[in-house]
Amino acid sequence: MARITRLGAVRAVLTSAALFAAAVSPAAAQQADNQLKEASVCARCHVISVVEWGMSAHRKAGTNCVGCHGESRGHVVDERNNVKPDRIPRGDRISGLCATCHQAGCPKTKQAADCQSCHHVHALIDPKKPPSSKDEQLEKLAARWQSAARHNAEGGRLMKAGQSEQARAEFDAALRDRPGDPRIASLLAAATRRLQRNFAGFEIVGTARAEESGLPKQVRVSGTDIEMLLVRGGDVDMGSEKFPAAKPLHTVRVAPFYAGKHEVTQAQWKALMGTNPSAHQGRDYPGSDRLPVEMVSWADAQAFLEKLNARVSGAGFRLPSEAEWELAARAGGPPAPKDLPRIAWFDGQERATAPHPAGTKQPNALGLFDLFGNVWEWCSSLYAPYPYDAADGRESPSAKGLRVLRGGGYADTAEYLDPDARHGERPDRKLPWNGFRIARSAPAE
Amino acid sequence: MAPHVTRRDFLGGCAAGLLAHQAANGREGSAPEEYRRAGMTYRRLGRTDLYPSLLSFGSHTDPADRVKAPNGTVLTPQGQARRDRIVARAFDLGVNLLDVYASEGQWEPAARMVKGRRNKILISVANDVSLREVDRACGMFGHVDLYRFHTAAIDQKALEDWDVLRKAKEAGKIRAIGIATHIERTMLEAITELEGIDYLFFPYNFIHARADYSAFLPEAQRRGTGLIAMKPLASGSIMKLDPMARPGAKPEFGELQLWQTNNRPILPAAVAELTKSLARLPDETLCMAAMRFVYSRPFVSAAITGMFEERLLEDNYRAMARFEEMSRDEHAALKAAERLSQLLEARWLPADYRWLEEQWRG
Repeated sequence: MARITRLGAVRAVLTSAALFAAAVSPAAAQQADNQLKEASVCARCHVISVVEWGMSAHRKAGTNCVGCHGESRGHVVDERNNVKPDRIPRGDRISGLCATCHQAGCPKTKQAADCQSCHHVHALIDPKKPPSSKDEQLEKLAARWQSAARHNAEGGRLMKAGQSEQARAEFDAALRDRPGDPRIASLLAAATRRLQRNFAGFEIVGTARAEESGLPKQVRVSGTDIEMLLVRGGDVDMGSEKFPAAKPLHTVRVAPFYAGKHEVTQAQWKALMGTNPSAHQGRDYPGSDRLPVEMVSWADAQAFLEKLNARVSGAGFRLPSEAEWELAARAGGPPAPKDLPRIAWFDGQERATAPHPAGTKQPNALGLFDLFGNVWEWCSSLYAPYPYDAADGRESPSAKGLRVLRGGGYADTAEYLDPDARHGERPDRKLPWNGFRIARSAPAE
Repeated sequence: MAPHVTRRDFLGGCAAGLLAHQAANGREGSAPEEYRRAGMTYRRLGRTDLYPSLLSFGSHTDPADRVKAPNGTVLTPQGQARRDRIVARAFDLGVNLLDVYASEGQWEPAARMVKGRRNKILISVANDVSLREVDRACGMFGHVDLYRFHTAAIDQKALEDWDVLRKAKEAGKIRAIGIATHIERTMLEAITELEGIDYLFFPYNFIHARADYSAFLPEAQRRGTGLIAMKPLASGSIMKLDPMARPGAKPEFGELQLWQTNNRPILPAAVAELTKSLARLPDETLCMAAMRFVYSRPFVSAAITGMFEERLLEDNYRAMARFEEMSRDEHAALKAAERLSQLLEARWLPADYRWLEEQWRG
């Protein structure tokens, strides 16, 4: 004889509750949900009794624990069971309770006494004939999900093997088995992207692709020598207790984006804008074309991006947001003070009094150069108090106020070369240590 | 028998009474603009949480005691000892703002003087602006309460220096940042162009009040910019105007000659008028009246003056201690002194500062 285990019963009741909730109207589902929530107080101890009740028609009929046992508030709060429930019906009193609803006696036998001889007291079922946990609908669903999992695993294997076409077919099949599954949908999109040879505004450099998104890791802005690297999205812990303007510490989710591999150089600026506003140029600074452009305001950077977007259609170049900049800067962990001379030009042991050619120190873990030092980098965000919230208007290009600069510059001491350090400046202010790097969102499809 | 009141009951009752009084006056939680303690007045510096003493100690040192040093000047050991004595006495009188120039070798002595009472004294620094210099000052004083630079115009250099000061303030190294300037146009530009300016050093005395800087002062007050009056005695020149100055009194600049020794034959009528006016103020010198003119201006958070003699410090303090509205006689004396300064044209100022006369008078 089949035996009902506690786990089996719980699974059965939850499944039936879920199917029930899906099948009925939202209002009825809400009511059922409320009943289960109410019964959960009793289920803290009386797990089996509540599960039996949940499987029975009693729940559907709205007869609950309180109906037979009373409110029993004292019993609920007394963990040691010194206070008993308000009512514990036994013997004939059980049949008496049944008769409040079943006034004509048992629907089958018409018997009006000793109901518990055939029916379980909570489940209204014959204890000698336990219900089957078999559910065809559930089994079909499980089969589809198992199939999806198989296709998904196979797709993952093929992706790793570089067989994107086949992987895409597998993910497609998996998504048919589990329509709307976000994880499979993103893998399908990744496989599709791997098959793409071109992205709007980009020339793909090399063959490296991000495993999870299928996006090219390195690209070049079409028709320029501006290289960009993919920054995986994720959660970034922004802020610290170190700087008053960086309080409080909080977590922000950032979508994947591309960031300029280097700060925009004087040559790149000149090629697009036709002028060079930098303070460090001319005979005193041979090879200044490779120096990052400076003496540019936030508004100047916007003008540069506007021109770039006009030239490279569909790319949507912009400044990185403060959160994006910090996510990129924290890749591989914040730099240790002893590592700073290796990765940054700043006012340290070798005193830097002017910017240095871009990319002459070592890159960070993502391959981005000069995130710290050389020139401060304009971000798109307003210099608003933390916590950072991209939806609170701070990313609006027309919002009035100071704009954020990050990363420290050649004239700064080591403490400003910190992923936490924020600085705000008027958007029209031009200073010889303020520059920028470009960014763009990763294509969604 | 009267009920026994314990110390705890008494203190509890006092605290409750004080809180009730504050709540009744609706002042709970709001910072006062001014308070007085033991004869000294402390006024809030603009929007900051700093309360400098209305009489503050300026950075100029006695030229007679200066000797050249690699990076400016230092004082002779005797001169330094005398200055230290005056500074210590100023602290005793409640002066809590000490201004120090790096170029006059006063950082080390000032750091020594404030040791042990750093939380009570505000250190004001005027220096070249770079993060290294800020760090050097912080190494000396722990932090800097007020840091400023002097500028004649808000040009690119001033904007760059300002950016450095803002970063240092953001890093918690400086509590308030500002500039010093003598030009009203620059003052106006500064409060509009320099983001987050906390205070401004500006020349202010009864001769150079310039109708209270009609454009600058209302705007500064509207924006809540702290104002510190420098040159309340016009670099000691006001002392020079005083025909009744005691023999041997020392103006701030060595080349200034006292009235008695230099200008006695000139303008006897004007001198007579001033002498007469001052005679009506038996307990007050022209310098004290001049200081009281600056103290009486509510927008001035502090009047900062270099004091080479203990007596001058005591006079300035006495002018503060009897803090009441200026009398008609005092105003008359100042009017007479102003007329005298006009008759003398620029000669009443030290040679280095004569260029200011035109700007100050407007």
